[in-house]
Amino acid sequence: MFNLIRKDLIIQKSQIMLFIPFVMFFAIFADHMSPFFIFLIASLYIPLNGYIYDEQVESNILLNSLPYTRKEIVAAKYVGSAVYMILSIAVAGIILYLFNFDFLFRDIVIAAGLFFFFAALTFPLFYILKPGNIGAFIMIGLIVSAALLPPALRFLAGHLTAITDFITSLSTTVLYISGTAISISLFLISWLASQIIYQRKVF
Amino acid sequence: MDNVIDIRGISKEFKEFSFDSIDLQIKQGYTTGLIGANGSGKTTLIKLMMNLLQPDEGEISVFGLDYATHEKAIKDRIGFVYDSNIFYESLNLKEISKIIAPSYKQWDRKKYKAYIDQFELPLKKPIKHFSKGMQMKASIAMALSHHAELIIMDEPTAGLDPTFRRELLDIFQEVMVNENRSILFSTHTTSDLERFADYIILIDQGEILISKRMDELQEDYALVKGNSDLLDRDTEAYFLNIEQSQGVFQALTNDKAQVQKVFGDYIVMEKASLDDIMFHMKAAHRRG
Repeated sequence: MFNLIRKDLIIQKSQIMLFIPFVMFFAIFADHMSPFFIFLIASLYIPLNGYIYDEQVESNILLNSLPYTRKEIVAAKYVGSAVYMILSIAVAGIILYLFNFDFLFRDIVIAAGLFFFFAALTFPLFYILKPGNIGAFIMIGLIVSAALLPPALRFLAGHLTAITDFITSLSTTVLYISGTAISISLFLISWLASQIIYQRKVF
Repeated sequence: MDNVIDIRGISKEFKEFSFDSIDLQIKQGYTTGLIGANGSGKTTLIKLMMNLLQPDEGEISVFGLDYATHEKAIKDRIGFVYDSNIFYESLNLKEISKIIAPSYKQWDRKKYKAYIDQFELPLKKPIKHFSKGMQMKASIAMALSHHAELIIMDEPTAGLDPTFRRELLDIFQEVMVNENRSILFSTHTTSDLERFADYIILIDQGEILISKRMDELQEDYALVKGNSDLLDRDTEAYFLNIEQSQGVFQALTNDKAQVQKVFGDYIVMEKASLDDIMFHMKAAHRRG
């Protein structure tokens, strides 16, 4: 499985070279941006790129003809993305620190939580959708959620005061711990779902 | 004799055709040619053998092992070549081998290097700039560099020019003679196989029409030519399929002795090429 995780680094060699200037760009020009957002983008960089590369060629045929099981191929994606997320956040943290871009540990925790959440939602799509449609699907999804989320949140805040009261009443520690627990659980459920989908996939 | 692949009663439904309770054995230590027209089910059969597809019913065992419990062990011993490029296009051969090599227990770096040199392939040029022939050679180099006992190739000679084809076939032959492996090789260009296949499997619309030794095939089948006047309802029964034009017929028989007895010197009997056999068997099969 280690080889499958390493594969994502090999195929993205040139993209990874771009990773550092990419984060540096944010560190210099995105000073109005919340640091957690930079961490989130940095953490998604390698895993998403890996999927995009994999769908360009018939990599499913290649990987499944090599001595790997389908379980391992999916596991490598999930474990690998978590590993790359940690490494990317570490590198991004160092870069931001060097550029005197202020951030808190809290930003990293929020980014990691959102990473698990986002990964949990999108990764199974790569096993369901036909190659080539995924990019469009994610773009549409982002636009739709950007359009719908703020009004939805306003609606929730306005009408479901009980929930918002409950959330604001929690201590930050509890909030973070439960948030992390929920997003990691979602990530694990998503892993299981991807595995079931991939087992049945026809190449 | 041992079977390297043993297919028992597999069924699978597709849009264009279906496999209906198929039995098929691939002999160990021999070269088997899988022939059939485009769309006959060759690639699908190969995908089933590689476990890229799973049958609805039936069992497939490779090296006597089943995929459900021994997937990795089986694939570790198979070398594969497909007719389309399955390697990451932006990578060069050096980088691709970094992905492929560690997945096999017995990857042989020296051997890989030797094949790359022999095939005159550039190590540092991205695959996307390779010609079809170079891609095929690269694929073959990888299939042969991990001491695979079974080499499965889907149309390895498709889209290659004749000189190149010849060169590749020589390489396969060399591998067979020197290393005694099993090769399964699908093609719709039957002349590729006449030189060195030991067994032939003919498939059409998902049905196995022939599965025989090459020499038996050439022994059993013959191409018969004669005047159309010789044909009537009784005599037509000796042939599997008949083609007629301008007062003469050409037909395939698998009953040489009887045909000789009935028609005597009125007909000409020739050795049937694989192409003739494929053509007539397919026509007969489609006629039902």
